[in-house]
Amino acid sequence: MAMKINMGEFHERVEKGIHNTFMRGAVAGAQERLRTRRLEAAEELGNWEEWRALGEEIRQHTLENLDYYLMQLSENVKKRGGHVFFAQTAEEANDYICRVVASKQAKKIVKSKSMVTEEIHMNAALEKLGCEVIETDLGEYILQVDDHDPPSHIVAPALHKNKEQIRDVFQEKLAYTKTEKPEELALHARHMLRHEYMTADVGITGCNFAIAESGSITLVTNEGNADLVTALPKTQITVMGMERIVPTFEEMEVLVSLLTRSAVGQKLTSYITVLTGPRDKGEVDGPEEFHLVIVDNGRSDILGTEFQPVLQCIRCAACVNVCPVYRHIGGHSYGSIYSGPIGAVLSPLLGGYDDYKELPYASTLCAACTEACPVKIPLHELLLKHRQTIVEREGKAPISEKLAMKAFGLGAASSLLYKLGSKVAPTAVHPFTVNDRISKGPGPLKAWTDIREFPAPEKERFRDWLKQRGNE
Amino acid sequence: MNVTLFVTCLVDLFHVNVGKATVELLERLGCTIHFPEAQTCCGQPAYNSGYVKEAKEAMKHMIRTFEHAEYIVTPSGSCATMFKEYPHIFKGDSEWEERAQHVANKTYELTQFIVDVLKIEDVGARLEGKATYHTSCHMTRLLGVKDAPLTLLQHVKGLEVVPLPNAHNCCGFGGTFSVKMGPISEQMVDEKIQCIEQVEADYLIGADCGCLMNIGGRIERKGKPIRVMHIAEVLNSR
Amino acid sequence: MMEAFLQRIASRLGRDVRTSVERPQWKHAPQQTVFQGYSEDELLDVLKNQCTRIHTTLVETNSAELYDTVEHVIHAHGGGPIIIANDERYEQFGLSSFLKREDVYVWDATRGRDNIEAAERANIGITWSDITLAESGTVVLLNNQNQGRTISFLPTTYVALIPKSTIVPRMTQAARLIREKMARGERVPSCINFITGPSNSADIEMNLVVGVHGPVKATYIVITDR
Repeated sequence: MAMKINMGEFHERVEKGIHNTFMRGAVAGAQERLRTRRLEAAEELGNWEEWRALGEEIRQHTLENLDYYLMQLSENVKKRGGHVFFAQTAEEANDYICRVVASKQAKKIVKSKSMVTEEIHMNAALEKLGCEVIETDLGEYILQVDDHDPPSHIVAPALHKNKEQIRDVFQEKLAYTKTEKPEELALHARHMLRHEYMTADVGITGCNFAIAESGSITLVTNEGNADLVTALPKTQITVMGMERIVPTFEEMEVLVSLLTRSAVGQKLTSYITVLTGPRDKGEVDGPEEFHLVIVDNGRSDILGTEFQPVLQCIRCAACVNVCPVYRHIGGHSYGSIYSGPIGAVLSPLLGGYDDYKELPYASTLCAACTEACPVKIPLHELLLKHRQTIVEREGKAPISEKLAMKAFGLGAASSLLYKLGSKVAPTAVHPFTVNDRISKGPGPLKAWTDIREFPAPEKERFRDWLKQRGNE
Repeated sequence: MNVTLFVTCLVDLFHVNVGKATVELLERLGCTIHFPEAQTCCGQPAYNSGYVKEAKEAMKHMIRTFEHAEYIVTPSGSCATMFKEYPHIFKGDSEWEERAQHVANKTYELTQFIVDVLKIEDVGARLEGKATYHTSCHMTRLLGVKDAPLTLLQHVKGLEVVPLPNAHNCCGFGGTFSVKMGPISEQMVDEKIQCIEQVEADYLIGADCGCLMNIGGRIERKGKPIRVMHIAEVLNSR
Repeated sequence: MMEAFLQRIASRLGRDVRTSVERPQWKHAPQQTVFQGYSEDELLDVLKNQCTRIHTTLVETNSAELYDTVEHVIHAHGGGPIIIANDERYEQFGLSSFLKREDVYVWDATRGRDNIEAAERANIGITWSDITLAESGTVVLLNNQNQGRTISFLPTTYVALIPKSTIVPRMTQAARLIREKMARGERVPSCINFITGPSNSADIEMNLVVGVHGPVKATYIVITDR
């Protein structure tokens, strides 16, 4: 699955999302639970704002010196006998991964959850090679079994599915015979996947944080699937977006503390694993061979621009979990594996405005995302910057809007024009006014009055009242 | 105390009563109101749509209009936030940054001004009934004014103020969002109204005319028996 | 290839490639003050409290009663087969006889993949905690050739043996300890596990299911006099 998920035009996707009653109930419930848990976890620490400031500082410093830290990481991975490949594009990354897999004559690949491998469409490349690629994160596994249904949330990918749907899919595809109880469904997945881990040739993981100083990678899960993916197959390939790196263990620790609290309100998730190189001499489990693939795929184009802060992201989805727009339209409406506010900022940068020009407008700029972000990405400001770019550099705004804004600029910058315009407003809309209300507005007002009443401009403006009253 | 009122374009044109209430309230609290006739709009509609050049024209005009004021007070959290953003927007502009900062420094949202500057918590208002308060996003998150409106409302005699469930969720206004993304905005405002109904409030009170136009317009369309009031009107009730 | 990749980053950042960077003194350090000055007993209380929130049973014992306690925990989880690391602490803590039990498989690097098969068959996996994090209820395992990774992942039940002296406030101290080892020229273990309770998932309708890929149950045995 590539970053883009093809499900029709933006407005059609939104329409579909809004009418998906189960999904909306699930999202609202998840948002409430995850938001509360995050706030409680932050409250327990007491000085959350200081933690956020530290998180931001670490991420900013690392991005400012990204070339250095990547070089350090690469040297240290090699010192420990690992292989490092720098991939400028998705194709280069997939070619390398396919070459490694082919050289091992691998047939079966187990994989733990990774957004970047979805972004580069890795599974498809491996499947073309004749490999079976098995997702092991429970949510990802469910989606994969259901004919590659796209993820709708970066932390809880199958959030949009209910247990009855999952039961039906398992019955159809996995010879499942039990009920829709989550425990029974999970147990079935456990049995199916246990066999796969034991017999897989290659394990592929993402990377939450690479540690430059030690040449390590950090994996964060609750299920423990990443541990089995990296402990059992003979070859391990880890794919990381190039920005997912920290200087040392001590910064990793801070960011993991921010990540697990922000994502799920846990102090730490059940399994945090730091892997350095392949297995050591004499060790029995862990991979014999370790490959680290560092992916750019459009990220360097963001560096040095006003959008650079988006690369601070640690993929916790706290912004998704508070977004009132995501709440009603769900993840698939974004048309990208990256949904919610972070998706609305990141998808146009990585995938271009042609596919994602609506996303920056799918926000009320309420700033709930900015407030929730543990590394202080000014998400709503970046959405605003997208709008500016669309208007100024891309010239993609509708002409009617451009004219209206031009008029606004003139009117608001001139008290005379403003006064004139505001004075004639009641007369202009008079034909549409009933009982001081406009219910069926003309032109741009129509979109408003399709949903709500619009107040007719008052006959006496405030300023007229004040003047009569004798105030200066 | 000399207060220069920035009434906002929405109040000037559509919600004159909010402006009147603001003036009467502040005068009752001992302020002398000044109203620069040249004032227009803070520039937010253009700015938030990505039209920075056009927005800046409006902003410069507003800076010129307000820079000599002692205190700038406005009955809108969102428009106050916009004034506070000016220095950020004109950053690096040798002519305008400092002037923008000057304007930002003395700008207050109405309730913030009453509680923090006038140091008044009880304005002597009276209103019978049950109310819930809508925390507007810009005022709460960006301007950082959270407690002042509630403090003032708690002192209104006869008024029972109950918390609004899911108060943190935006009402779906978002300026042009409300028309550009109509179907989404509709879902958001409907959920907001459900929450208001859930607490069986007689009044929905807010401090931003944008939100109130959105919520109020939808309440009217649906024919719900909930009265929408700006906090200035509530505080001016006797 | 790496050069071009890094060069591109540097040029986007408007400068030449950096070959040395001073790790800054961060302006904030909130992590250093969590449970600062807590005694061992206070940290144990924090750990106990946290265990109630991570579906983990915590049992307190002392070295004299350790064997019986372990026996009791094993029994409570339905007995063997058991897999354990080849760890000198069994002897140091007077558990040498434990190593010779019939239902116990001791990790033996010379036996290759047999170890993994044994872990897969085992009902219980036991490892010693090298560092224990009070705040999160986490045991830190510095794995090595005598302690395979799979001991803690493949069996149905996971048991950690925790000398009280290994308890530190939080992950901050563990990170520092590991960096100090590095500074002394010690090799970073190929796999360090931070384990916090049993495996779980909330991927189905946000319902928490305990026991997905790894252990279904977890018990911590704290040895209070060591």
